Amino acid sequence: MQVQNSNSKPNDVMVQSDVDTTNQSVDSVQAIQNWMVNQLVEQLSLDAKNIDVTEPLTRYGLDSIDAVTIVGELEDWLEVELPSTLFWDYPTIQKSAQYLVEEFDVSAALNNAEPAAPSETKEAKPEASEKSGKGWGGFWKGLGG
Amino acid sequence: MHQLKQYQIAEALERDLGNPGHPESTMSFKRVMELDESEEFPEAEVDWLYNWKLQDYYVPENCGGKFTSFEEFVAFVRVMSRRDQTIAIAFTTMFWSFLTWMAGTDDQKKKLSQFIREEKGTMCLAYSERAHGSDLIGGDVTAKKVEGGYLLNGEKWPINRATRSGVTFVLAKTSEEEGARCLSLFMVDKRQLDPSTYYHLPKILTHGIRASDMSGIGFKDCFIPEDMRLKDEGSGLELALKGFQITRMLCAAFSHGAADTAMRTTLNFAVDRVIYNKTVFDIPQPRQTLVDAFIDMLVCDCETIGAARGFHIIPEQFSVWAAVVKYFVTIKLEEVINSVYVVLGSRFYMRDEHDYGIFQKLLRDNSIISMFDGSSVVNLHALILQFRQIAKYRSRRNQKTMEGIQSRLDTIFSLEKSVPPFEPEKLGLFGRGADDVLQGLEIAWEQLQELNMEADVDADVLEKITTLTTIVLEELDAFDERIANSGFEHGHDQDPELFELAKKYCDLHAAAASVHTWIYNRTILDDFFAKGEWLVLGLYRCLRPWRSLPNIVPKAYSENVAQHLLKLHQENKMFSIVPIQLAQTDTQEEKPHASAELQLQA
Repeated sequence: MQVQNSNSKPNDVMVQSDVDTTNQSVDSVQAIQNWMVNQLVEQLSLDAKNIDVTEPLTRYGLDSIDAVTIVGELEDWLEVELPSTLFWDYPTIQKSAQYLVEEFDVSAALNNAEPAAPSETKEAKPEASEKSGKGWGGFWKGLGG
Repeated sequence: MHQLKQYQIAEALERDLGNPGHPESTMSFKRVMELDESEEFPEAEVDWLYNWKLQDYYVPENCGGKFTSFEEFVAFVRVMSRRDQTIAIAFTTMFWSFLTWMAGTDDQKKKLSQFIREEKGTMCLAYSERAHGSDLIGGDVTAKKVEGGYLLNGEKWPINRATRSGVTFVLAKTSEEEGARCLSLFMVDKRQLDPSTYYHLPKILTHGIRASDMSGIGFKDCFIPEDMRLKDEGSGLELALKGFQITRMLCAAFSHGAADTAMRTTLNFAVDRVIYNKTVFDIPQPRQTLVDAFIDMLVCDCETIGAARGFHIIPEQFSVWAAVVKYFVTIKLEEVINSVYVVLGSRFYMRDEHDYGIFQKLLRDNSIISMFDGSSVVNLHALILQFRQIAKYRSRRNQKTMEGIQSRLDTIFSLEKSVPPFEPEKLGLFGRGADDVLQGLEIAWEQLQELNMEADVDADVLEKITTLTTIVLEELDAFDERIANSGFEHGHDQDPELFELAKKYCDLHAAAASVHTWIYNRTILDDFFAKGEWLVLGLYRCLRPWRSLPNIVPKAYSENVAQHLLKLHQENKMFSIVPIQLAQTDTQEEKPHASAELQLQA
């Protein structure tokens, strides 16, 4: 998948080439967390303010099978193969984001993503995804971004 | 003996069971009706199957048994099921042993293998609970860690063979934390338990499979040693879901057996009954009803047999394929049974008329197949959750992907090719969108173009198959487009429209499986199969609910199918793309003698 075409890029990621490794890790964790929050916002019609990254995903109505299928979306975005039980073993947004940054090389995918304004609104996203969906005609509409 | 080795066990079992229409045969319709009426467990019949050593075919070769192929497995389960689903299911609860073949230690495998093969061992699956249905994580049965093992508490219900089983696979909570890791799976050997710490629940009276041991089991501070746990603590849900992929697919075999008997007993009536100076079979409307039902049975055959073989080649794709088979085949064969009973007329409802009243029994028995081990809704839901990945995967295919798919399809669908040993550890919770059957349909389309050069292919039939395959591809593109634009949600609040879309996916899948089956077996199976008229009719029926189709099917095709159906009935062969020889009218006692004579003649 082309991240640029997907519109599933992390909106809030701020990629800087001159920061040290620690800062990059923090940024990466933050970027992944934002992506996951956006997923929940889009797919469960939740307000981002009400999502706590330290709470289990099941708190937001996702069951175990949903958690497995979300791994597929995450794999597409980060372009790495992940354990399908990722969210079973790391059930909060924070824990899974930290695990991903520690165990996988996600920097390439995150660097490919265009920095986006952090102040996106829910209403703006479907429109943006339809424009960028190319041949897939808004395929990524539901994926957030 | 059948030319295809994987069908020889089924034929041998058929021969030894004898013709079910003969009252003296084992599992005769007369006998299974008596069992149904009395609701007594079929002790003698199950014991007969153990003495025949059928249990060896549930244990993989590398665990000491004779299981080598799910295609073979499906074939012999059909042989049992066409006589009686109650017995077939009671015996086949043994397929839960695949949990141990998948996740057990060498010691656990050895113990279970010995139990099955040498001690006529039986087992059941204890997942569901009275208050929680298919919500496994919501269960109340707990396994609390104590020194050397666990203490089990709680009740499992309704469980087939809960009372009459030596081993119970129990899913229990080992953690108080909510979440997918709160469950562990235990292979509980009742012989090792303190009898005062567990109990069985009374037999449940049911609409069908009335002679079953449908009951439950309860535990009260029941100590189980640590070595009864399968895999790690917390892996229970993962194993349960992977195990379901195996059993959901195999459930199709029960339905195939019932559909065969529904068709056969209806034909027994339709070819003899004269009304308005014709047999029922010679009247156009009932004739077409039976032809349509037969075509649906053949399409289901392609889906089931392909999947049974596919397990050995692409186990990682079965989060999709098992759900398609469990939904499509079991529901389609229910429809088949419901449509043919109109031809049989009021006799379908009688408990002691026409072939011992077997029709009403199989109708009741069969209605549970699409429900247990994951209902039709559960399976459609499982597909819905994977649709975006499936559509994405299809959009990303490249030359290399297609080469891989082509090579796999070749092994999956060529019935004369042997399959590698099943590797259950390769089953996956989700297949990352891969579905070779539909994603390889363009390959099939190319192969159809190449068949133009073959002298033995009827050009008209090929043209029609190609036209309909093109429409399947168009509908698949439309499906992807629709998924791309659908308002997708996680969880259990899916748009009901998506369930209709999932049904469409299953119809397209069955159409594709049928095309692949024909392409790879034209020169292997019989002339009727090779000619492909059945496939034109089958594709037409798969597509008809979703598309206004041109009327391209000549009446002669249906007529030829009717003649073949009649031929299989007269020759007493299974209504299948692989029409194995069914037992003839002689009894078991006469059988060995008859076989010897046949051999001498040969």
